[in-house]
Amino acid sequence: MDQSFAIQDTLEKGDTCLVAVQGILVSPYTNESRLVGLVKNRETLAIFLYKHRRMAICADDVSLDEIIPLAEGVIIQQVMPAEGFYVIGTDVTLRIKSLDIDIVMQLPFGSHTQEFLRRVNQPIQEGLPAFPSQQFVWLRKYWQRNIPSVNSLFLNNMNYEEERQLSGLDINLVSDLEADKMAMNGQWIKANERVDPSRSPQMSVRHNKTTFTDLVRSADVLSANKAEMVPFTKFGLRDNLIKSELLKNEDTYISIQNYRFFVGTYNVNGQSPRESLQTWLSQDSEPPDLYCIGFQELDLSKEAFFFNDTPKEEEWFKAVSDGLHPEAKYAKIKLIRLVGIMLLLYVKKELAVHVSEVEAETVGTGIMGRMGNKGGVAIRFRFHNTHLCIVNSHLAAHVDEFERRNQDFREICSRMQFAQADPTLSPLTIHKHDVVLWLGDLNYRLKDIELEKVKKLIDSRDYKTLHKFDQLKQQIDGKAVFEGFTEGEIMFQPTYKYDPGTDEWDTSEKCRTPAWCDRVLWKGKHITQLEYRSHMALKTSDHKPVSSLFDIGVKVVNEELYKKTFEEIVRCLDKMENDCIPSAALSQREFHFKDVKYRQLQVQTFTIHNDGQVACQFEFIRKLDEESYSKPWLRANPSKGFLTPGSSMQIELEVFVNNQTAAALNAAEEKIEDILILHLDRGKDFFLSVTGNYLHSCFGSSIQMLCYMNGYMRDTSEETITQLAQMPLQMKDNFLGAEKPAKIPKELWMMVDHLYRNASQQEDLFQQPGLMSEFEAIRDCLDSGYPESLPGSNHSVVEALLLFLEALPEPVICYQSYQKCLESIGDYSSSKEVVSMLPLHHKNVFKYLISFLQEMLNNSEKNHLDIKILASIFGNLLLRPPPDLPKPSNSDKRRCQEFVQQFLQPEDP
Amino acid sequence: MAKQYDVLFRLLLIGDSGVGKTCLLCRFTDNEFHPSHISTIGVDFKMKTIEVDGIKVRIQIWDTAGQERYQTITKQYYRRAQGIFLVYDITSERSYQHIMKWASDVDEYAPDGVQKILIGNKADEEQKRQVGKNQGMKLAEEYGMDFFETSACTNYNIKESFTRLTELVLMAHKRELEGLRMSSADELNLAELEDDGSKSDGMANSSKSCWC
Ligand SMILES: Nc1nc2c(ncn2[C@@H]2O[C@H](COP(=O)(O)OP(=O)(O)O)[C@@H](O)[C@H]2O)c(=O)[nH]1
Ligand SMILES: [Mg+2]
Repeated sequence: MDQSFAIQDTLEKGDTCLVAVQGILVSPYTNESRLVGLVKNRETLAIFLYKHRRMAICADDVSLDEIIPLAEGVIIQQVMPAEGFYVIGTDVTLRIKSLDIDIVMQLPFGSHTQEFLRRVNQPIQEGLPAFPSQQFVWLRKYWQRNIPSVNSLFLNNMNYEEERQLSGLDINLVSDLEADKMAMNGQWIKANERVDPSRSPQMSVRHNKTTFTDLVRSADVLSANKAEMVPFTKFGLRDNLIKSELLKNEDTYISIQNYRFFVGTYNVNGQSPRESLQTWLSQDSEPPDLYCIGFQELDLSKEAFFFNDTPKEEEWFKAVSDGLHPEAKYAKIKLIRLVGIMLLLYVKKELAVHVSEVEAETVGTGIMGRMGNKGGVAIRFRFHNTHLCIVNSHLAAHVDEFERRNQDFREICSRMQFAQADPTLSPLTIHKHDVVLWLGDLNYRLKDIELEKVKKLIDSRDYKTLHKFDQLKQQIDGKAVFEGFTEGEIMFQPTYKYDPGTDEWDTSEKCRTPAWCDRVLWKGKHITQLEYRSHMALKTSDHKPVSSLFDIGVKVVNEELYKKTFEEIVRCLDKMENDCIPSAALSQREFHFKDVKYRQLQVQTFTIHNDGQVACQFEFIRKLDEESYSKPWLRANPSKGFLTPGSSMQIELEVFVNNQTAAALNAAEEKIEDILILHLDRGKDFFLSVTGNYLHSCFGSSIQMLCYMNGYMRDTSEETITQLAQMPLQMKDNFLGAEKPAKIPKELWMMVDHLYRNASQQEDLFQQPGLMSEFEAIRDCLDSGYPESLPGSNHSVVEALLLFLEALPEPVICYQSYQKCLESIGDYSSSKEVVSMLPLHHKNVFKYLISFLQEMLNNSEKNHLDIKILASIFGNLLLRPPPDLPKPSNSDKRRCQEFVQQFLQPEDP
Repeated sequence: MAKQYDVLFRLLLIGDSGVGKTCLLCRFTDNEFHPSHISTIGVDFKMKTIEVDGIKVRIQIWDTAGQERYQTITKQYYRRAQGIFLVYDITSERSYQHIMKWASDVDEYAPDGVQKILIGNKADEEQKRQVGKNQGMKLAEEYGMDFFETSACTNYNIKESFTRLTELVLMAHKRELEGLRMSSADELNLAELEDDGSKSDGMANSSKSCWC
C-alpha cells in the first residue's frame, strides 16, 4: 500500500512527496506508528513525520507531527540491533538527529524502505545546504500549521550549540566531538561503519513532542458544531446494518455480467525480455477486459534478493505493457513485487472506474520462512460489486518437496491479509473473496514415472495419462492443498524444463524430467475457462508461459434498483428506529382540582402505561426558567420512574396549599394553574395541564386585608381581594373609598373571643393538638360565616389560632420591626416604643393578643399555663425574621420569646 | 454508493392546532394519513432518513402542541431546531393570520441561522379555501421564506417540502459538511489516479506512463 498519496494530499503546490514509508517511532515510553515521507521542494528536501490512521488515503487521515529539514547538521544513522549483527530482511532501525530532534525510527524491510534510504542518502552524499537558509523557507508554512516549537526555533534563528545546551537531552550515540564534526557536513553513517552495542536505540530520548493527537483532531471537528447546532454523529452501527442488508438483498439490484479475464504466468529464469510478448498476451481475436500477469524468477541476483531492488521490474513491466492486445487501451491498476515474484493487473481504460478498493500484499516463504525468493504476492480489488483476489506464487522447488509446496500454499493463505477501509473490521484473507484466481510457478512435478515414459506420453499427446502422475493433481485429490479450487483440463505439454532459446527438453547434466510447473487455478462462482494453454513461441526462459482465458460473471449493480433497495432498507431501519422510540400512554392529561382549600390535600391519580417496544424512563422535568417541575402547591408522586414494556404505574398529583403558598393564592396573585412536562427519556414530552379554583381563606391573608374586608372571605369577589391585597401596609385611617375598617380581623376576634369565653379554664390549652377535621370545620366557618359559632374543641380552635398567626404573610410584628424588637430586649419601655410604631392594625392585634394571653394567665391555677409556655409559643409566631434573612438561630428564637415575655409579665403597679 | 457518514439534525413543525402538523409528519415518515384529529399535547418526534445531494441525512422531526396555552412551553423547544416549518391551514384565515405571531416567536426563541419554510396545508380542500395561494406566497416573500402548499391527505408536496427544508439546512451548514465530505473519500477514482503521474506509486515506477 503506497501511502505517499496521503502525504501528497497535505502538501502545498510545488512540493512533492518522493517516497513514503510507514515505520515505528521508538521512544522510551511507547512505540507509535508514523508515516515518514521525503518531501521535495526545488533543490531541498525534508523528512515529514505524520501521525496517521491505519489506512491513510487522504490528507484527513494524517496529521503532521514533525519536520526534519535535510540540512547541515542532520545525522542519519543506521543503528545496529543489539545482537550486533545485521540480518538482511529484518527491519531497518534509523536514528535521525538534527538541531532539535533526536529520534529512532524502525522501518520495515522492503522496497519502500530501500527507496527511502536511497533517496535520503543521495543528497547527504552530495552535501547538504546550510540551515537556516532561504532555501528552506518553504517549510515555514508547514511549521506554522501546527508545530510551534520548531517554528519558533526557525524564526528566531537560534544557534545550534545554544539549543543543544538548553535542551539538556543530548544523550549521544556518537562522542560530542565527532558529532560536531559530522554536524558540520551532515553525514550518512552506515551500520557497518559504526558498531557500538552500548549505544543501542533504546537509549534515545525524544523531545519537542508536539501534542497533536487524534483526540485533538476530532475535537476540531466538534468545535465547529457549536453544542446545539447540527450534531454530526457517525452511526457506525447503522451503517453496518445497511451494508449487511444491502449484501443480503444483493440479488435484487445486481445482474451477472461476463467480463473476459486473461490470466498469465511466466517463470522467466532471471532473463530480461528479448522477444515480444504478443504471442502470449494478445493471441486472441478479442481483447480481454482485464489482464492478470504473473512472473517468477524475475531477477536471480543477490541485489534483488537482499534489497528487493531490480531493474528487471521496469523491463518486464514495459514488455508486458507493449504486449497487451493492440485493439484496446489498458490502465495499469497495480504492480506488486516481492523479489522475483511480480504481479501486474491491467484493466481496459473505460472499465477503470468500476475498479476500487485495490490492495496488494506480499508473503515471503523463502529462507527463514520469510524471505522473498519464494512465496506469493496478491492483489485484491473490487470490480463492480464483485471482490476478486489474484494470487501469484512461486512455491518451493525440487521433486520431493511437494509437502513443502503444500505448506507454502497454506502459509500464503494464512499470512496474506488485506487491511480494510474500516479499521474496526478484521483484515480480509484470500478466501474471503468472491473470486480467487491463483497462478504461478507452483513447482509441482511428475512423480513415479521415468523420463522416457514421460517423453513418450508427451509425444503421443496423451496428457490425460501423464496428468495422473502430476503431484498437484494428486495432492488436490488427496485434499492436501488448493481445496475448493478448480483447474481446467491440461491440453498442453509440460512447460518445464527447456533449453533456453529452444523447444528442446533440458539437456543439462541434471536432465530434469518435464513438469507442469506453471498453472492457473480458480475458485468462485460464474467462472468459465475458455482457454488453458502454453505458449511455445517464447523461448527466453527454461519455462514456457501459460495463459488461461476466463469469462467471469461479475456482479454489476443496477443503479436504479440499488437505489430502490437502499431506500427500502433505510425505510425499514427508520421504522425500526421509530418503533424503538420509548412511548407511553397516559390515562388522563387534564386535571381539575375543584375548591382547593387551605391545608386540605387533594389527590388525583392517573396511569402511565408503557405501550412501546422498549423500556422507558419517565420524569417530570423543569420548564425553562423555573426552579422546579411544578408550582410549590403541586407535587407528582412519584415524579420519575421506570417502566418495562407493557407495564403501568399510577402517578398521584397532589395539591396542598400550605402557609408558604397560601398568601399568593389568597391575594389572587397566583392561581391553581400549572402545566407539567412529563418527559420520556429519548422520547416525547407530554404536557399535563392542571387547573382548579382556590377558595380564598383568612388563613394566609393579611391582617390589613381582613380588617378592611366587610364580609367573609368566600363571599368576597376576586376583584375586591386583589384591590385589598394591593393596599399599602402603613395605612391612614381615612383610606379613600374604604369603609371604616375593623380594629382587628373579625376572624381573629372570633377565635380569641371563643377561647376567652370557653377555654380560660381548659387544661393543657396550647399544649394539646387539635383535630384536623375540626380545624377544617373551623376554617370553613371563619371563611364563610357558617355555622354561627365556631365548631370543634378548644384545642382545635387554639390550633386554628396558631395556624392563623403562622400563615400571616406579614407577621404581627412586621418584618421591618423585627430587628428593632430584638435590640430593645431588656428595655421594656423601648420595646413598647417599637410596638407603638407598628401599623395600626398590627398594633391592635398585638395588644389584643397580649391582653388575651394575660387573661389566660390569670387562670393559671386551672389551665396550668405559665408565662414561659406562652412566651415560647407566641414569641416565634408574633415575631418572624424577614424571609430574606436566614432562619433564626436558637438564641434569636429565645430573644423573640423574651420580647413577648416582657409584655406578659405583670406590670409593676 | 453509501458514504461512511451521516448527518443528523432537527426540524420542528409549528402552527395553530388543527392545521395538520401531525398529519404532515405521519405522511412523511410512515406514508399514512389518519383523518381523525387527536390534538397533540406535548411534543413528539419521529426519525426519517433521506438522501440529499449524495449525503445521507437523518432528521428528527418534532411535532408540537399548537394550543395557545402550551405556547410558552413549546417555545423552549425552538432553540434545538435547525429548521422550522410554519404551518397554516388554507381553509382557516385565522391560522394564516397567526403565522405572524408564530414567526415572531421563532425570531425570539430559535437559534440564529435557523431555516424556515412556510406551509399552507390542506390544499386538497379547494372548495373551503379561505387563504389564496398568492397570499401565502406574499407572506413567505415578506419573511424571506420558501413556500409550499401541501396536502397530507393527498400526499401533495410533502416530500418536496421536507426535502427543501433539509437542503436549506444543509446549505446553511455547508462549511461543517465540507469537512466531513473531505474526510471520507472512501472511493478513489482509479482512472484519475493513474492519469496523474505524480500521484501514482511513489516507487521506481512513478515515472512510467500507464497507458499502453
Ligand atoms: N383535507 C385535509 N385534511 C387534513 C389535512 N391535514 C390534516 N387534516 C385534518 O386536519 C385535522 C387536524 O390535523 P392534525 O395533524 O391533527 O393537526 P395538528 O393539530 O396541527 O397536529 C385532522 O382531522 C386531519 O384529518 C390535509 O392535508 N387535508
Ligand atoms: Mg398535532
